Amino acid sequence: MADKLILNVIHRPEMVPEYAETAMKNDGNGTGGHGALLQESLDIFRLQQEIAHKNGIKTTIQMTYASLFNDEAVALAKEHHAAYGDEISLTLLGLPCEQFREKYKTKDFCIWMFSKEDKIAIVHDVFELFFERFGFYPESTGSYYLDAFLINHIKENYPSVKCAVATCFEEGPKAYHTCNNSWYTLMDGGPWNPWIPSKQNTHAPAANEAEDSGIVAIPHLSRDLIACYDGNGSNFGTHPQNVLRGMIYEGDQYPYLYNLIDQYRHLARYNRGFCYNMMFVGPGWLNKLGRWEAPHSLLVKSYEDGMAYYAALKENGLLVDMTMAEFADHYRETHTYEQPECALWRDILYGSQKQHFWYCDPYMRLTLDMNQGGAIIDLRPYAAKLEIPVGIGTKHVQDVSYPFLIQANYRAGYFTHYAGEGTVKSAKVAYGGEETDLCLCRTKAHFSEEGNTRVVTLDPVEVVLSGVTASIQTVYRFVEGSSKIEVRRNVLSVSEPDAKLTIREYVTACYGTTEYPEDMTGIVLSVGDGKGREETIEYAYKCREAAMDSASYARAVVPQINTALSVEGEGCAFIREGYAFSPMFTLGMEAQRGEKETLVTWLSLAKEN
Amino acid sequence: MAQSGKGKLNYRCPSCFMRDIDMDMFYDPNKGEYYCIRCCYCGKEEDVLKKNQMARFRYRSMLTRITAWED
Repeated sequence: MADKLILNVIHRPEMVPEYAETAMKNDGNGTGGHGALLQESLDIFRLQQEIAHKNGIKTTIQMTYASLFNDEAVALAKEHHAAYGDEISLTLLGLPCEQFREKYKTKDFCIWMFSKEDKIAIVHDVFELFFERFGFYPESTGSYYLDAFLINHIKENYPSVKCAVATCFEEGPKAYHTCNNSWYTLMDGGPWNPWIPSKQNTHAPAANEAEDSGIVAIPHLSRDLIACYDGNGSNFGTHPQNVLRGMIYEGDQYPYLYNLIDQYRHLARYNRGFCYNMMFVGPGWLNKLGRWEAPHSLLVKSYEDGMAYYAALKENGLLVDMTMAEFADHYRETHTYEQPECALWRDILYGSQKQHFWYCDPYMRLTLDMNQGGAIIDLRPYAAKLEIPVGIGTKHVQDVSYPFLIQANYRAGYFTHYAGEGTVKSAKVAYGGEETDLCLCRTKAHFSEEGNTRVVTLDPVEVVLSGVTASIQTVYRFVEGSSKIEVRRNVLSVSEPDAKLTIREYVTACYGTTEYPEDMTGIVLSVGDGKGREETIEYAYKCREAAMDSASYARAVVPQINTALSVEGEGCAFIREGYAFSPMFTLGMEAQRGEKETLVTWLSLAKEN
Repeated sequence: MAQSGKGKLNYRCPSCFMRDIDMDMFYDPNKGEYYCIRCCYCGKEEDVLKKNQMARFRYRSMLTRITAWED
């Protein structure tokens, strides 16, 4: 099965599709209405099922709470399970219906936002009604997001559940912004491909059996790993109508959709033959009024075309369709806890040569940007396994994002306006009074494996300083289970053979989940040699600095996110406190290197209580 | 003078779309034009379509089918 794209197609009979309801309510022309909408919903579900089956693709039918009250929807699910092998599953999306509103007296519909008591009550209601209608409990479930409490509760009470749709990749402030600040899926910082969530935090993969929540999680849609980082995720996913929403088509042609699917197929190259896609289109996206400037006919055509492409891959032996439960079994059989997910992703939309490298394991998620010399532009410290209660009654009613240490778009990267620094991990190179940053050297990356180490080797870049030209190559090494990244700066050549370059390996970081700054008070910076010498700065926005020769580390302890971040190596370690206009800190290691010499440092993450 | 409503399709504001905001526009039947309630854009259907095409300027590979993937 290696190298075959594994596909989950999921359909849900949603009796009042959320997008269609909004569109029709706002329809000042008086067409349609609630009654028509109810009639339409099942027709759309039936159409989606028909398109999948016509193409020989089995589906996972995620029954919504509302649909469990509808005899026709229940009968359809049973019929399609018997005829096509579709899995009958249960989603926690689609809660709104008369019965739900009467019982819970609310218009809330996002399961992760409810209070703990309501979550327990709703899960009980929905799962028991499912049992009543089908005579068994489901093996898979999901929502746009499922928090750790919910997953643990579901697993404890309904152990048959082994798979769940558990997050939308990078649907944080960008999606919120795109929806005119009215779509509260603030959930950045999770994996882009399937993973085993930890019991502590859904976004952070489990490192071992003790942390294993007991389910395999899949993200909602497979998304473009460059376009989604700087744009609205709902324009760039394996969801044909997302591509229409992004206006990434001309007439009725959308090759981008097929390129996106193919790039996911290519990820097998970085993941020992594993590659995956999920397609999960809610019925509202196919409503008869049309959507996103596209008429109903184009909405349907795009769905048919997307499914037909999957079918063609299947016919050619390049794809295997699975139900969610089947996929969970397969994933468990083929993955270990510490096995990372890697993606060397290229731009397939904007016509640049840009590449990102994404890495995810139980200790971190990070992104390298080859347009910035391979700098780390995003870093999430999964090592901290942050336990963040979410929903009404907690401090996180809507924002469930896993915090970053580096996010080069929300907190600037190399480029800032007027003053201060942005979050990024890179290196500065100096000689003869001149200095540059490797962020200014565009390059390309190549992926390889050495046993349990994933290696990203960048093409050498050239820097010219005070008339001296040097060629420098960066290599990142990720050792499974180490919670560290080895960073090698190889000085391949220098035009003046005896010249020594000063290399300042640095990381500028902060913490947060949105574009807006957080209070840095309480962060402790330190440099030391590991043999008793240590200097510390307690963050107070005073712009202080400290350095130590013959040191072995520069460290920041960020108590707000229970994380210790360190730059380790041998050289002159330095720390820099920020100030109010630049609420960051910088850690670094400086050393002299000449031709054929290498500076090796490690970026390390640890949980710090 | 009748209130505004949606037009035959839910056209979004092209000006807002170019800054990554999806704003459905409303249709003013008296003037025969769409308008945005967030920014100052307004225009007839023909102009909306023209501006939507302009918004695609950044998608330089939009119509390219990629067949080679090795790095």
